[in-house]
Amino acid sequence: MKINGSFVEKVLTAFIKQELSKFNYKKGILGLSGGLDSSVCTFLAAKALKPANVLALIMPYGESFKRDVEDAKEIAKLLGIRSKIINISPVVNAYFSTYPTDNRIIKGNKMARERMAILYDFSAREKALILGTSNKTELLLGYGTIHGDMACGINPLGDLYKTQIKQLALHLGIPEKIRKKTPTAGLWTNQTDEKELGLSYAKMDKILFQLVDLRKSKKDVIASGFKKEEVEKIISLIKKSEFKRKLPPIAKISARTVGHDFLFPYDWDK
Amino acid sequence: MPPIPFIHQRYILNDFSVCLFISQLTSYFLLFNSTYIYYEKINQIFKSFASELQCLRNCGNFSFVRVAIAQITPHLGDVKKNFDLHLKYIKKAKKKKADLLIFPELSLTGYTLKDLTEEVALNPKKDSLFGELNAASRQISLIVGFVEEKEKGLFYNSAAFLSKGKILHIHRKVFLPTYGMFEEGKFFAQGRNFKTFLTPYGKMGMMICYDFLHYGASYLLFAGGSEIIIVPSAAPGRGLSNKECYETSRMWELMGSAISRFSSAFLIYCNRVGFEDGKHFAGGSFIYNPMGELIAQASYLDQDFLIQKINLADIREARKKWPYKRDDRPEIILESLKRIIRNNED
Repeated sequence: MKINGSFVEKVLTAFIKQELSKFNYKKGILGLSGGLDSSVCTFLAAKALKPANVLALIMPYGESFKRDVEDAKEIAKLLGIRSKIINISPVVNAYFSTYPTDNRIIKGNKMARERMAILYDFSAREKALILGTSNKTELLLGYGTIHGDMACGINPLGDLYKTQIKQLALHLGIPEKIRKKTPTAGLWTNQTDEKELGLSYAKMDKILFQLVDLRKSKKDVIASGFKKEEVEKIISLIKKSEFKRKLPPIAKISARTVGHDFLFPYDWDK
Repeated sequence: MPPIPFIHQRYILNDFSVCLFISQLTSYFLLFNSTYIYYEKINQIFKSFASELQCLRNCGNFSFVRVAIAQITPHLGDVKKNFDLHLKYIKKAKKKKADLLIFPELSLTGYTLKDLTEEVALNPKKDSLFGELNAASRQISLIVGFVEEKEKGLFYNSAAFLSKGKILHIHRKVFLPTYGMFEEGKFFAQGRNFKTFLTPYGKMGMMICYDFLHYGASYLLFAGGSEIIIVPSAAPGRGLSNKECYETSRMWELMGSAISRFSSAFLIYCNRVGFEDGKHFAGGSFIYNPMGELIAQASYLDQDFLIQKINLADIREARKKWPYKRDDRPEIILESLKRIIRNNED
């Protein structure tokens, strides 16, 4: 699972540059949390585009993630890109005061979708394409909010596992305090991905790599030194979240149907 | 009156063909010498016969060929824009005194066409665009990739070799990848032949992309006597390692080295670059000499333009040392294949 940082950097900056030019955008916009993935994506965007053409939205919920906001601001300053802090708590609180809940996941998903709504709004105001920051581990395990943090115009990071993003971060010279942060979805304080998923990223990525990239069978993955429950849990998460990786099915009743046999490239006429 | 004997489009490969040509023409005269209405047509036959003879003569005259590779990013579904891009590279190659300019697979259309396939299809006999390409080929031989509508509603992934103002050969992709990320079999008709054809630079053969990963195809070109094998390609890169390229780039280079070495032929691979629907075409176009040595290679990531002079004497040198071609036994291969096919029958 080793990557060549310089090669991946060249490929992904070319991707960002070419996709923006194809879809006639000059600017890129993204949500910057101060965590590893969004920081890596911001670094790549700043290398691919002129720093003035990158807008990072820092969207904290209240005061709960102060340190991350500071880190995000620092990255924006370091790269010389534009940034804007938008506190989402007034909108989110207004909603939950009418429809209260104690369910942290429901609350967290709402926050993720608020951020998405703001990103799309600013995308239109600024004529900027939204850069997604979901990594391959999250996408495969469905560890993201559908129509929330998973929503974007293009995703440069979606084919890199979390541990590979760490390697890329090191190559890009991202400050150590960001590289060494415990990964969190930031839905509530003290939440960590690894605690919630019950496995370390190192382990999850190794299992996923064997199952997905190498197309190994469950039996072979277990035989290579992982616990049966661990491998089964990963497989179950992949299966349960397939709906997040696809457009919803359309009932096919006509001769030619969107999503079935009306087949045009994404880059149609680009 | 019967039609004129259809002979002028054939390549006259040996004395026997020349005799055949003359005898056909003579019998035609004997039968219809009372009329001269076919004078024009007969004149045409003579002209094209003369140009073929010229081609045959030139064939031995080239000691070196200046090969140019245009590692471009075509515009998906926009034939006009791509045609202009071709003209730009033709101009560039002419300036560099190239004899032959090669474009990648589907260079006139882009790769991920899906339902656009029929919209961008061309008929080389009718489309004016080919008229212009043919005209350009008077000064420089060209290989272009396009969607060919050979018959109404049948679309092929084709590559044409144009030289001296006309199309010398069209290869229609035989092995259409239809697995994983590929779906060519859904949109294209399958070609049926791997043919060695005569060019001003010697005997050539073409394969398109995935054709080249089926070594039986290379064998057919070897058995047919190809001295220069050309592979226009649109190969997306995949698989990361600690190297500064995709893992799949090694796969193409491995084939390039092996096939050139064991066919004692030049192997020219022309890939494209750029992204289509997130797929990243992995460039790395290359030329191997008949000893299996890499003599030129383009960038893995960027658009590139390679010019390489190749020495045709290398073919003879390689075959002197390693008589694979002399010792080939196509009749044994054929009989064995027949047996294999018979035994595989249900």
